Amino acid sequence: MIDLFPLYLTLKVSFVATFFSIIIGLCLAWLMARKEFFGKGILDALVMQPIVIPPTVLGYYLLVLLGRSSPFGRILEDTLGITLVFTWKAAVVAAFVASLPLFVRPARAAIEGVDKNLENAARLLGKTEWAVLKTITIPLAWRGIAAGSIIAFARATGEFGATLMVAGNIPGMTQTIPIAIYDAVQMGNTSLANILVGIITLFSFSVIYFVNRFTKGRY
Amino acid sequence: MSLSFHLKKHFRDFSIDIAFSIEENMAVVFGPSGAGKSLLLNLISGIIKPDEGFVRIEGREIFNSATGINIPIRERKIGYLFQDYALFPHMTVFENIAYGISHEPKNKSKTKVEELLDLMRLGGLEHRFPKELSGGQKQRAALARTLAAEPSILLLDEPFSALDYQVREKLRADLLLIHQKYPITTLFVTHDLEESFVMGENIAIINNGRLEQFGAREDVFYKPKTKNVARFLGARNIFSGIIVSLYEKAVAIENPDIGEIKALLHHEEQRMTVGEKVTFGIRPEEIMIIRPDKPIDKKVQDNLLEGEVLTTLGKGASHTIYFKVRDRDATIKIEIPNFAYRKLKLSKGKTITVSLKKESIWIIPERQAKG
Repeated sequence: MIDLFPLYLTLKVSFVATFFSIIIGLCLAWLMARKEFFGKGILDALVMQPIVIPPTVLGYYLLVLLGRSSPFGRILEDTLGITLVFTWKAAVVAAFVASLPLFVRPARAAIEGVDKNLENAARLLGKTEWAVLKTITIPLAWRGIAAGSIIAFARATGEFGATLMVAGNIPGMTQTIPIAIYDAVQMGNTSLANILVGIITLFSFSVIYFVNRFTKGRY
Repeated sequence: MSLSFHLKKHFRDFSIDIAFSIEENMAVVFGPSGAGKSLLLNLISGIIKPDEGFVRIEGREIFNSATGINIPIRERKIGYLFQDYALFPHMTVFENIAYGISHEPKNKSKTKVEELLDLMRLGGLEHRFPKELSGGQKQRAALARTLAAEPSILLLDEPFSALDYQVREKLRADLLLIHQKYPITTLFVTHDLEESFVMGENIAIINNGRLEQFGAREDVFYKPKTKNVARFLGARNIFSGIIVSLYEKAVAIENPDIGEIKALLHHEEQRMTVGEKVTFGIRPEEIMIIRPDKPIDKKVQDNLLEGEVLTTLGKGASHTIYFKVRDRDATIKIEIPNFAYRKLKLSKGKTITVSLKKESIWIIPERQAKG
């Protein structure tokens, strides 16, 4: 019997990370698609960094930022009682940062693709900005948003480098599937590695297959 | 409801500065493409924020740059019909029409939507999506959606431009009927000359972000105040001349290519002096061809010109004739109904006499006729 903990942890971390990616990512995508503000280009470049930066570098930044020696990490620990580093929550942070740009990109493009006059028509019919977003923008951009969510989820499940740096490799605590595979190969446990690799492969294939089906337009 | 505004907005390569006001009727905003017609509607509705100015609906200020009033779009109660209709593609016709009244009790909004479906001849189409509608149906659905919210003024941005000719004519008649039933103060934007004549009791002619002339339909069409207005309104017979004599409410103008022409003065404010340079003209359909077998009517005995027919062109219900004044250089465009054309037996090279009716001639002093 193989240990199912890495699978459970991977799903848990990925769901929580994707949840935050969607919430924060939607705000960012909408801001960048519809608003002009100072520093927009810098914010955009910052959010997109995890796509190009090596995961270990990202992990190092997170470790420095969230660790006990940083002001931010100290505030978290001393006043809020939250310790992130080397817990499953750190894995969530790593997965979130890594997957955020993959959500923001398609979501932003989808929002930009919504005809502004449709939003204006809704405003002229007496709707608040929130109602416009809820009844016009998001429903019309939902394919891009859904596709972004799935890709972000997939990226979260595969996160390795940054997670290892910031959450470590603690079996039964912070060991996700990608880390477990690495561990199994290191220990020469080929059969376990094969099973885990199989799960990830099947999952990744399904993701791309469904994303492609989703993004075929209807309107 | 009355609508009055003065709006200014500067862009890098375009600026708009237009003011006028309308009462409870339909006014047309006419101008060539790029004149700023759609932009004007965007500024009134608040889709684009003006740099300066004000908008008042029935005396209530919805925008004023001086006092900082800028009522959000959603509270302006402005009905706006977009050129491409902007129907929500993910909602049915019913849902589209009901969209602006979703806060009302369900049975009340349902009755209202059904009434509008009926009025707009959309019965049976309420469960269709916009992409399953024809152009005319889309247009009526969009108008129904706008009317459902009971706007205090209506802005129509070239509502018929995307439709073919036959549908257009039917829908114009429809719109006039609907306007009778819902007499909402309406601003109707178009670049179609015929349409502006059919739809508007008042016409505002705009060009390059400025108002050229605003007034009653007949005044604007037959007494243009600027050369541009005359040009936009399809007046081909535009000449320049010099005032040679003054009468009470009339002048005589000399043009070397035509001769001496008498014209009545229309605009009270027009004060001419002898020797002054002017631009003058006459609409092609206001020129009379004199029938040789009948005595000349007193009304057309002035401004008689003899000459020959250069070419004739059939144009559906009318004929266009190009006429050259004898021994002079002017070519004048004349438009006559087909029955008159047949009766006169006109053909190329034929010698005819025409009268430029003196009350139909418009004059613009050169000093204000720039452009």
